[in-house]
Amino acid sequence: MRSFSLIFKQFSRSVLLIAGFAFLGSSAYAQGDATKGEAIFKANCTTCHKIDIRLIGPALGPTVTSDTDDKWLTKWIENNQALIAAHDKKALDIYNQYAQANMTVFTQLSDGDVANILSYVRTAWKTQQTAAAKPGASGPAAETGPSDLVIYALIGVIILAFIIILVLNKVVITLERLLEKNQGLFIEEVAVEKVAVDRFAFARKLAKNKKFVFFTLLCGTLALGSWTWITMWNTNVHQGYQPVQPIKFPHDLHAGAMKIDCQYCHSGAYKSKNASIPSLNVCMNCHKTIDRTLNSKTASPEIKKIYDALGYDPQTQKYDSTKTRPMQWIRIHNLPDFAYFNHSQHVKVAKLRCQTCHGPIETMKEVYQYSPLTMKWCVQCHKRTNVDFKGNAYYTKMEAVHNLIKEGKPVTAAMMGGIECGKCHY
Amino acid sequence: MDSNKKYWKGLEELNKTPEFVEKNKHEFAEPIPIEEVLTGGGLGGKTPRRDFLKALGFGVGAVTLAACQKVPVHKSIPYLIKPEEVTPGVANYYASTFEGHAILVKTREGRPIKIEGNPHDLLSKGGLSGQAQASVLDLYDVNRLKNSMRDGGDYGWGQTDGFIKSELAAIKAGGKKIRIVSSTITSPSTLAVIADFITQFPTTKHVAYDAVSYTGIIQANQNSFNKAVLPHYYFDKADVIVSFGADFLGTWISPAEFIRQYVQNRNNKSLQNKKMSRHIQFETGMSVTGTNADVRIPIKPSEEGLALVALYNAISGTTLPGTKPLKNNIADKAIAIVAKELVAAKGKALVVAGSNDVATQVLVNAINSQLGSYGTTIDLDNPSLQYSGNDAGLVEFVNEMKRGEVDAVFFLNANPVYDYYNSKDVTDGLKKVRLKVSFSDHADETASACNIIAPNHYYLESWGDDNAIEGYYTILQPTINPVYDTRQAEHSLLIWSENPVKDYYTYVRKNWDANLLAKGGLSGQSGWETLLQTGFVKAAENPKGTYTFGRDLNAVAQTILDHSDLLADGKVELQLYQTVAMRDGKKANNPWLQELPDPVSKVTWDNFAAVSPTDMKNWGYEDGDVVKIDGNNYSITLPVLSQPGQTQGTISVAVGYGRTLAGPVGDNVGKNAFPFHSLRNGTFQTTATVSLTKTGDNSPLSQTQTHHSIEGRNSIIKEATFTEYLKNPAARTGKGKDHKDYNENNLFWQDYDHPQYNWVMAIDLNACTGCGACVVACSAENNVPVVGKAEVGRRREMHWIRIDRYYSFDDNGQGGVTKEKEIARLEDLDHVRVVYQPMLCQHCDHAPCETVCPVLATVHSSEGLNHMAYNRCVGTRYCANNCPYKVRRFNWFNYWNDARFENYLQNDHTLLVLNPDVVTRFRGVMEKCSMCIQRIQAGKLKAKIEKRAVRDGDIKVACQQTCPANAIVFGNANDPNSEVSKALASERTYYVLEELGVQPGIGYQVKIRNISETEA
Repeated sequence: MRSFSLIFKQFSRSVLLIAGFAFLGSSAYAQGDATKGEAIFKANCTTCHKIDIRLIGPALGPTVTSDTDDKWLTKWIENNQALIAAHDKKALDIYNQYAQANMTVFTQLSDGDVANILSYVRTAWKTQQTAAAKPGASGPAAETGPSDLVIYALIGVIILAFIIILVLNKVVITLERLLEKNQGLFIEEVAVEKVAVDRFAFARKLAKNKKFVFFTLLCGTLALGSWTWITMWNTNVHQGYQPVQPIKFPHDLHAGAMKIDCQYCHSGAYKSKNASIPSLNVCMNCHKTIDRTLNSKTASPEIKKIYDALGYDPQTQKYDSTKTRPMQWIRIHNLPDFAYFNHSQHVKVAKLRCQTCHGPIETMKEVYQYSPLTMKWCVQCHKRTNVDFKGNAYYTKMEAVHNLIKEGKPVTAAMMGGIECGKCHY
Repeated sequence: MDSNKKYWKGLEELNKTPEFVEKNKHEFAEPIPIEEVLTGGGLGGKTPRRDFLKALGFGVGAVTLAACQKVPVHKSIPYLIKPEEVTPGVANYYASTFEGHAILVKTREGRPIKIEGNPHDLLSKGGLSGQAQASVLDLYDVNRLKNSMRDGGDYGWGQTDGFIKSELAAIKAGGKKIRIVSSTITSPSTLAVIADFITQFPTTKHVAYDAVSYTGIIQANQNSFNKAVLPHYYFDKADVIVSFGADFLGTWISPAEFIRQYVQNRNNKSLQNKKMSRHIQFETGMSVTGTNADVRIPIKPSEEGLALVALYNAISGTTLPGTKPLKNNIADKAIAIVAKELVAAKGKALVVAGSNDVATQVLVNAINSQLGSYGTTIDLDNPSLQYSGNDAGLVEFVNEMKRGEVDAVFFLNANPVYDYYNSKDVTDGLKKVRLKVSFSDHADETASACNIIAPNHYYLESWGDDNAIEGYYTILQPTINPVYDTRQAEHSLLIWSENPVKDYYTYVRKNWDANLLAKGGLSGQSGWETLLQTGFVKAAENPKGTYTFGRDLNAVAQTILDHSDLLADGKVELQLYQTVAMRDGKKANNPWLQELPDPVSKVTWDNFAAVSPTDMKNWGYEDGDVVKIDGNNYSITLPVLSQPGQTQGTISVAVGYGRTLAGPVGDNVGKNAFPFHSLRNGTFQTTATVSLTKTGDNSPLSQTQTHHSIEGRNSIIKEATFTEYLKNPAARTGKGKDHKDYNENNLFWQDYDHPQYNWVMAIDLNACTGCGACVVACSAENNVPVVGKAEVGRRREMHWIRIDRYYSFDDNGQGGVTKEKEIARLEDLDHVRVVYQPMLCQHCDHAPCETVCPVLATVHSSEGLNHMAYNRCVGTRYCANNCPYKVRRFNWFNYWNDARFENYLQNDHTLLVLNPDVVTRFRGVMEKCSMCIQRIQAGKLKAKIEKRAVRDGDIKVACQQTCPANAIVFGNANDPNSEVSKALASERTYYVLEELGVQPGIGYQVKIRNISETEA
């Protein structure tokens, strides 16, 4: 659902943009090529700038639109340091206004490139403003997608309709009854009583049938027994456990749509027993600049939770260490204390994919426990998985193992002692 | 040729007391309360069928309900901003210093969990004492002070600073004395801070003293050679070592270093070169050093001086005036032989004495000078700085206080109210002092008598440096943020003396930049960073001068003889000593140390009066009888313990016990013996004459000693003499023509392949000194619980490795057991030999424990290990019963969550010291040595990640790593070039209880005693 709306949003956005370009194609100060400009803009500028809002640098849309001194802008964009060094008043003003943060120097950009960027920015800003001014237009409405209010209203309408149908139905029945009463037809109720007596008698007859009783009891016992057995067998197996996390972190977006490597955040998986939940400074690598979902008008409340936990103020871009509070994630994969598990052994040495144990994590909106994490499950895998000994000098000295390898036979983890108690229990 | 020497583990076993014999018949030596349960109200009464059904129903219901509780929600709380160097699950190591030894502190997620020796440490090359191993636990002591205090109430640091500054200003104006009282400070930066403080307040004097003092040696060197230093001794350069009561392998000056030196001439390598040093010990009580000696001669304290005079006479060929013959025949004979051997080994001989008497030490200097020891085995030019305290300085300070001349006193790592011989003088004196400040991190005896306590950081939280040996500078760096709101003492002193440098880190840094880095050829930022990684710098050694003793000895001899006469007044002579675990008692609140059995007596959680078995009989004492010890205007009551080897007519009592304000663990454990000290000729004497009276009470000691009988099996401990070894290196190992192959009758066990690794261990009994560092290291590494005195008394201590101590008669190389009857045997109990044997799970290839486990909780691995799956264990204890080595431990309680053990290891803070890679065991399961399988697995994983084979020495088990004697070697027997394969290939190797055919994985090397030439 989420990805659908995303695709839809992206699609509608590009349609809108193209429309905007077509409309503004002959605009007064758009001398550059906005399409080329978009590419350059996305490659170089988006780390610090957005069109509509302030990020590390100013919101470019309004700034560049109001400032038409393209020559100065070009100089600034290509080498702002030179301008500052030359004590250009305007440059110094901006420099001081943004806490003397140095803007990257882009000497590699030609004047033409800059013109393209400016053209793109102005066009895009204009498009956005136009879109905002016409809320009734088909594009922007679709862009926001069905709001929560609409959905609730829809549900409300359905429920209301259902109630109305029920009430109407009841009215109809009452009316029919009245009609029948008026016609003097009472036989029906007597007939109902008779049927009930018959049924009771049938049950009594069944109860006297010993074979039937035995069969029923047997079935009952078996059902109850197997239910007990299964319940006990699965005690403390929490496959499918999906707790509500303090931040609704969408793995489907990060690992799925954005294709961020698992180890970018879970960096411990390569070198430690713990894959480790990323510390919030890792989140801030990206979320310092990304504070909302694509094209959303307002900052995401979920991302704001990161800021709150870190005591980070997105306006001033400063951290306040007195306002920090820990992020209490709920642990999903709980191995008992007496079982030792090491991620690096499996991820780095055995080169297993994360998905082997954690399931299709890249499609999970909220993570759940995919594998049972029982010992049976561990042992089965150790019995079935061949050791990846290629290119690892660790295995070359083990003669017995080496002979098997030479014979071309697969060597499983179990054959290397992988199912001995002491491999995991100490 | 099997050894036919008789060994025994305790006197009960030797004497076959009826109780012991009775106990031994039982499957378990300790009583099992099953009969109590059966005869008690519980199961004894008749239970009607209905009641039974009711109970059953209720039980099932209750259990079902209890099982229905919700699975707890586990939280995972990551760092907000992760420090770059921390990876959760991966340990970091930081170089630091413990008591002059360069160490590595292992931290996990920013908290120190283990202390490991720095392999490049100049002193012990990576070996560490039990004290060092245990020190990490004190960091998490919940009884440490949590902020600064005034008169017992909390007082903020700001207020404290304001108060002290104003007081100091007033005191400075008044012009009265200020004193900084400390134990020996070896940190150059701390000394500089104190010097700066003295500049600011010129009436200040720094008084350094040591609870167990070495003033005698320092003063003697001042008298003899005009150098007031504690020499640096080289036991590795000595072929003949003679010690008079100096416990240099246990407690004397720098034991971990001396063990390393001493063992170099006695270990496998040395023996293979046909070389072994000779060590003769004259001493009163049985010390670790005495038990390791080739020959040990028990002498009374009063005879020590006479023996030294006799030795000097024999070596120099002169006769000092007043020389008297020793009443002790054996000692007298021994002195003559020893003198001959010492002279023969001139230049490679060393005589040391533990006495704190100046005259005695001057005489020792004269002997060493005659033997040419200076410049060879004794270095006066690169002295040890580990102890520099001056007894007279402390006495003078106490007198100054009593005279009301002192207005301010600062106590830094000093506790004179506890360890001064006349503690009342100190408390009385303190009352006359206006400003009393203690830097103690506990409200200890002295701190409680102060108005201000400004608690110091623990050493793991501190910046600092150390200089244990001249020219050897080590660094301390913090490994954790301060756990409590404490402040480093040096920092406080800087603030109070208005030093321009406001924090101690900057101060240390400046001091190193200006003075110390250059000594190691380092400089600047890069030099500092190198230092933080390596942990130390070593300056070039001072050239060694020549020292010849030229003083007149007549007066010295007279002083010694007078002292002897004073002691030998017919009463019982008392010798005060330090135990290996507790030392001077400063770490009394450490449960790991309290539960570490004393190497010789195997007593835990107590001090006691060690009495010779002959005296026990003569005086009518039984073990545990409480006696009143009276002497030097002080008396205490202590249980007695029959200690073979104790000199007749003497008792030995350990200092370091009887703390009253150490904390809940250390409070009222044993009795304080410090007040038995006396001041004589300017130094504190560790001997006294006392009288003993029986109180009639009996207070059993908790020993780990007689838990397990050796059942007359003579293949457990094997010992040969050096002569025998030279003739046949495999002497007394049982190997030879008639050696049976016990493995051929292998009916029960399948053989296991070891395709990849075969982890085994070799333990050199000739290197092991029995110090017990491995026991503490193992507890720290493997989360072994502390059980307390009562449980040790029930023989339920949990140590995975223990050091068995076996006595044998000192038969002077003639072999065989004593021929005489009872009395003669008792006489011989004064001359016993001791062999230590570290005993841990032998990881048998044919493990008897595995065959009896009904639930397969203990099984064999393809790597030669005996695995123990705790989660599978149901606690039948069959395995422990079937283990011939008795190394399995049963969890009688849930030690980690049981209010009865709350002082030990289970509060929120001490739990932080646990090794996260090892699980804690629950009540009702068996546990035992895993051969540090977590380290094996980690070592293999590291090799796999680095795509290489496991290198020999990559994996070190905890006991091996800390052993200062390198007695334990661990490795892969499949690799013929590994250290362990080479060690096991030694002719001396034998396997304990080999005849059982269990194929143990640990090979021991026969103990060799250099008694070829003893005629005594």
